[in-house]
Amino acid sequence: MKYIELHSASAFSFLEGASLPEELAETAAQLGMPAVALLDRDGVYGSPRFHTATKKHQIRAIIGAEISIADLGYQARPPSWMPHKIPQRPVRLSLLVENRTGYQNLCRLITRYKLRETEKGTGTATLQEVAEFSQGLVCLTGGEEGILASSLAGDGYDKARRNVKQLVSLFGKQNVFVELQRHFDPVEEQRNQAAVQLARTLKLPLLATNGVRYARAKDREVLDVFTCIRNRCQLNAAGRLLQKNDERHLRPPEEMSELFSDLPHAIANTELLSSRLEFTLADLGYQFPLYPIPEDETMDSFLRKRTLEGVQERYGSKNDEQLFAKALKQIEKELQLIEKLKLAGYFLIVWDMVRFCRNHSILVQGRGSAANSAVCYSLGITAVDPVGMELLFERFLSEERGEWPDIDLDLPSGDQRERAIQYVYERYGKLGAAMTANVITYRGRSASREVGKALGFDAENLDRLSSLVGQFEWRGPDDNWKTYFEQAGFDTNHSLIRKYLHLCNRIQDLPRHLGQHSGGMVICQGQLDSVVPLEPATMPGRVVVQWDKDDCSDLGIVKVDLLGLGMMAVLEECLQLIPKHYSKPVDLAQLPADDRLVYETLRRADTVGMFQVESRAQMASLPRNAPEKFYDLVVQVAIIRPGPIVGKMMNPYMRRRQGKEPVHYAHPSLEPILKRTLGVPLFQEQLLRMAMTAASFSGGEAEELRRAMGFKRSESRMQQIEIKLRYGMERNGINAQTQEEIITQITSFARYGFPESHAASFALLAYASAFLKCHYLAAFTAALLNNQPMGFYSPATIVKDSQRHGLRVKPIDILHSDWLCTIENTTNKRGEEVPCLRIGLRYVRGLHQKSAEAILLAKAQKPFATISDLAQRVPELQKSDLVTLSEIGALNSLGKAIHRRTALWQVERATRPVGPLLDAVMDEEADVSPLQRMTNEERLVADFHGSGLTAGPHPLTYCRDALTSMGIKRACDLERLPDGAYARAVGCVIARQRPGTAKGFVFLSLEDETGIANVIINPDLYQKYRLIINREKFLRVEGILQNQDAVVSIKATCVMTVEISAAETQSHDYH
Amino acid sequence: MAFACMFIPDFPVQAVIRQDPDLRYKPVAILEGAAPLTKVFAANATARALGVELGMTKLKVETCPGVERRWRAPSQEVTAHAALLDCAWTISPRIEEAENGSGAGLPGTVVLDIAGCEKLFGSQQKIADDLKHIAAEVGLEANVSIAGNPEAAICAARGFAGVTLIPPGKEADYLGPLPLSALNIPDGLLETLARWGIHTCAEFAVLPEIAVIERLGQPGQHWQRLCRGTDLRQLLAKEFPDHFEEYLQLEFSVDLLEPLLFVLNRLLEQLCLRLRMHILATTEVKITLTLQPDDFRNKQPVLHIRTLRLPIPVAQSKMLLKLLQLDLQAHPPNAPVTAIHISAVPARSRTRQLGLFLPLSPEPEALEITLARIQSTVGEGRVGAPALLDSHRPDAFQHNRFVLPEASLKKSTGERPSKAALRIYRPPLVADVQLHDKRPVTISCGGARKSVLAFAGPIKTSGEWWSETPWAREEWDVLVPALRPKFQPDTLANQPQENALYRIYRDLQSKRWFVEGIYD
Repeated sequence: MKYIELHSASAFSFLEGASLPEELAETAAQLGMPAVALLDRDGVYGSPRFHTATKKHQIRAIIGAEISIADLGYQARPPSWMPHKIPQRPVRLSLLVENRTGYQNLCRLITRYKLRETEKGTGTATLQEVAEFSQGLVCLTGGEEGILASSLAGDGYDKARRNVKQLVSLFGKQNVFVELQRHFDPVEEQRNQAAVQLARTLKLPLLATNGVRYARAKDREVLDVFTCIRNRCQLNAAGRLLQKNDERHLRPPEEMSELFSDLPHAIANTELLSSRLEFTLADLGYQFPLYPIPEDETMDSFLRKRTLEGVQERYGSKNDEQLFAKALKQIEKELQLIEKLKLAGYFLIVWDMVRFCRNHSILVQGRGSAANSAVCYSLGITAVDPVGMELLFERFLSEERGEWPDIDLDLPSGDQRERAIQYVYERYGKLGAAMTANVITYRGRSASREVGKALGFDAENLDRLSSLVGQFEWRGPDDNWKTYFEQAGFDTNHSLIRKYLHLCNRIQDLPRHLGQHSGGMVICQGQLDSVVPLEPATMPGRVVVQWDKDDCSDLGIVKVDLLGLGMMAVLEECLQLIPKHYSKPVDLAQLPADDRLVYETLRRADTVGMFQVESRAQMASLPRNAPEKFYDLVVQVAIIRPGPIVGKMMNPYMRRRQGKEPVHYAHPSLEPILKRTLGVPLFQEQLLRMAMTAASFSGGEAEELRRAMGFKRSESRMQQIEIKLRYGMERNGINAQTQEEIITQITSFARYGFPESHAASFALLAYASAFLKCHYLAAFTAALLNNQPMGFYSPATIVKDSQRHGLRVKPIDILHSDWLCTIENTTNKRGEEVPCLRIGLRYVRGLHQKSAEAILLAKAQKPFATISDLAQRVPELQKSDLVTLSEIGALNSLGKAIHRRTALWQVERATRPVGPLLDAVMDEEADVSPLQRMTNEERLVADFHGSGLTAGPHPLTYCRDALTSMGIKRACDLERLPDGAYARAVGCVIARQRPGTAKGFVFLSLEDETGIANVIINPDLYQKYRLIINREKFLRVEGILQNQDAVVSIKATCVMTVEISAAETQSHDYH
Repeated sequence: MAFACMFIPDFPVQAVIRQDPDLRYKPVAILEGAAPLTKVFAANATARALGVELGMTKLKVETCPGVERRWRAPSQEVTAHAALLDCAWTISPRIEEAENGSGAGLPGTVVLDIAGCEKLFGSQQKIADDLKHIAAEVGLEANVSIAGNPEAAICAARGFAGVTLIPPGKEADYLGPLPLSALNIPDGLLETLARWGIHTCAEFAVLPEIAVIERLGQPGQHWQRLCRGTDLRQLLAKEFPDHFEEYLQLEFSVDLLEPLLFVLNRLLEQLCLRLRMHILATTEVKITLTLQPDDFRNKQPVLHIRTLRLPIPVAQSKMLLKLLQLDLQAHPPNAPVTAIHISAVPARSRTRQLGLFLPLSPEPEALEITLARIQSTVGEGRVGAPALLDSHRPDAFQHNRFVLPEASLKKSTGERPSKAALRIYRPPLVADVQLHDKRPVTISCGGARKSVLAFAGPIKTSGEWWSETPWAREEWDVLVPALRPKFQPDTLANQPQENALYRIYRDLQSKRWFVEGIYD
């Protein structure tokens, strides 16, 4: 007899299920079920993945959900005389989707009550709402979470009968099934007997299910741990909260038939019901919204007009007739395709968003493959000229592909991006647009922490363990749980520790909760809530769908990414600061194209703070690439990527660039394609063009090639395409050896390729950031510090770098600092007025913005005279705020000859009111302090503790003499040493990296007062000094200096701790 | 005025070494906490020099070569502390158990008022040396200091090793170099001082006093005076007795219960009288009998301690005497008694008004005596009221102390009463069960083999999979001809046995079958 499991929940029931939808689908297929249903709690979070997985296993996915209901009482709990900690929770209705109407109703129903939620996971539907959305849905009476169990445990049989009759009146007689589950539990069996009687008297069909919460019996342990996490308790104390046994797994049909041998029709009904439930997610009914246009226009004509207006503006101003003609031709081609694919509405909607941003002075720039489109460029969506740069349109849109194009918009992170998002909500309605979700899963640290808590380990042990769990991209053979546990001092032979270790592994990648994607928005023509349930995001004013962006994309829902880019915010802030303080306007679109200073700086790899080119790997390749023009920068942005590195393209390119090897093309026909990159394919577009030229692939075929070798790599598809490639090349008369070379180039690289258009978009920003840094350092640094966290370096490093470049940085001062970092004018040694940077109050650790605003308000009325004046006039300031301000020297200006300790001395009294009688007496000796000034070291410690940076000298300045006497070189001296010399360096660790492409090598950046020294640690040395390398703030490194092509680094042979300062310096690690 | 302080460095280590003198010169780490969370609780200087740190895991300590590991022994700490007090009492009747800043006791620290003791024991130096010597005799290596006030003495004893004598008026000079951390200053205040750059007593001492009060309030002044060695507080002498303790050192040891009860009666009468004067009673009486040691050279006290915990506050000496009599009969001391110490935990007297129409329940006092009698018969820990545990484990219960339930009308909960009662065999009967088609068909138990006439099941439960004692079982209810003859009057002895309904289960860990009980 066939059995189909019609009631199973996955880990997307968030801590109420223990297996991924994929595992459920795979197990069901292995057990020979032709279909299986997924009913997660209050949502369809896992359904796209379930749908895809069932498709892979050639079984059918039935969609449903368990819906929390407010009006039907609470779930059954043990009787009151039995001790338990099971919380009161509303009963849940198990609903299965029969058809598209049912699916839409389910989504709307969930959306309706989810949007009412004030606290995550607490929403409940009312019976009235269920009645409103009941069409197309089949209702089960449920297991222990359901209405039948609840009524029977509470008010008895009669109440249960009334409740089931109510379900019948809501859903119709043919749509209510009395559910039976058997988990070898006597209480459940009593319930089953009542259920059978009810079904008989009400003439309702019985349905056997297993109330599945995990795919395999062994996963019960994971569910128990999840239960503890959900109820914030330990396994030892959880008692009846835990599972009674491990029977709620997917059971083979034969076992189910045997278990229900007394009620065979309950089994037979599963097949009958399943055949009725015909809906699949392939039948979503999604439509992208139409753009509202004037009556006398069509969508296409309207788009054409807007595009042609843009062409005039973009290309007309270039005074290049040939380019203009080429652009027009390309645009015509693109418009025709857009018209054919009926995508005009999509382009207009994105154009509309961009127009909104422009009208509201919000910087916006399209990135990704959209930059390949001349239409996008003409509409102002992107900033790179694809015709001028000969970019490949097919990479963006092709007829064969049959999927929505992907347009990503970069916006300044923060409030400006929020304005753009809110505009989309307003324009398409709360139920017409939403953010995509981001499923937060258990990773190393969270898994170890939460499992540890459930097993009863104390916080101290868990902290130690978490600190050891590697966050490096590269995983060596010792980067495993066992090593972490042993290093944390746990005995891995102990059974509890073994279990802990095992569970940490098991819960990896299981969903923990739903977050919000950083920028992906989905928009729908009708109501988005009929396509996927919506719920409120934690951030006020945001609505989020229950699926992540990959799920949305898999189901053909078009999304627009409104991404927050810190650098956009920096640029935007610079645009405001520069006219104000340098009396010069600056226009990003009109920056000089080949600024000498910018390229010199780039060639020196002096790039701290610059977009995309500031990482250690970028710095190590910049002198070799030696960019001289914009296209060199495009290559630079693209070359430090896994693709070129794994595909071994980087070194050939660099060698050819330096003239160390001749430019060579695999086939003469590839020269036009690879000429710009010296015969080395670096971009995805080149790859596609190579296929198109060498093997005469159409644009769509080339795109198919990219996808086949992309992230979701498919061996069989790869082989088919390879055959096609070889066939095409054969036909074009390319010999076997060249064919092999071309195929190797394509296959080794395609997987991690970077689109040229995307690189060009990023290179524009990189150039802009470099230009601003070189010419407007104060404004650029202020903007960079005001938009932290972003980029590769900590604020302390940014400040030190700017100081090395001649910027005067003034410390936080209560009388002069604003909330943000600001620019002040100061006179330099030559008597010229130059801008300098004042650190803002936002860097005072622990100071709330509201308190800072109160300071600024009071200061605007009258400057503060003394510390007690400050304390009295700004009551929002806590004592701890005043202490921190004193410690970092921000109150030194409040009186004569006040030093930090004097301020601390006064703060202590100012915050201890003594009453009016003694106030006058105390003011007399206000400035007198018996305390000693802070030493240099104390000041450093206080600066880093209180603000995370120092405007004073670098910690190493104070011990340079001692270091020099030990033969330790400064960072700036290293470049003068010959290649192969033995070198010693000491510095503050500002970055640790272990990239996935570096085979276990670790790269350290050590900062001293003169610059940054690069250190390479081999895997053996890393293993030996792991703790020192990972924990110490200052390191002494000795080893052989590599000084090649102006790239300087020490290949360490020895790493030592060194006592420099107790300052809490920060390192940016593992990225 | 002169005060002495005895301080035992690394007290938990010394408390252990005291009982195991071989460890004295070895590196020792004291461990605490159940595996696998065992951590270092204390370590002596030798162990610390080898890299042992407090909070280190057991596994890490094992990597430090030569370090002796011992478990923490709180009772040894208590006795060590008591021994320390004893040492102090040999010199002065006015002693104080030192406290930290927040009022918690500092084990291993005691302060003595030695004013006038010079006449009895000699110079201050001699007193200090004597104290160190006496401590050494009971196995404790003490720092001893003498100063003009108690706090200065404590600071000096905690801060300096060996014997320290601070001449009058020189307290500030002596204490000056000590780090502030030696003073047990509360963390918040210590942080403030550290921010001011003040790290030693001398640095704190020189700050202007009024300015300190303005900033740190009275606690600041208190700690500053400590640093200056000018604290003038009175000793909170332990000689002011706890009013609810009685202690009697017997002139001659007693080895019979009756004379002991005679003395006990006197002590209890006094104790109860004092309790009643404060309108208090007691819910716990602890009797500590100091026994005559076998070896007189052994100075360590041998104690016989019995504790009576009462469910109701009691202040009648006769009842307490009766309960003690029953307890001591069941647990007689194994040596003659030389000293008796009785302490009582005070509690408010019972003032409940009995309801006129409530049914009479046994007098709590009488019930307590009855329970004590039952316990003396059936054994300790075998009397109480069962309480279910929050666990799926079958038959999971604990037994609580039996108390009379509050008299109240029981409300119907609407839950259906249980239809059958199961009498559980403790321990369960080992059985052999034959299965056919995964179902029980015959049961063999106690030599009898019976066919299963009917069954229900299985019920499957399992749990504690994370622990060292996971359990899993599968149980069935089976109807079989009775396995054990039920008691029958002689007249019915020849009648055939009826069928009976049993619960059997298979322990899935051991794969063994058991008969758990029989349904009524």
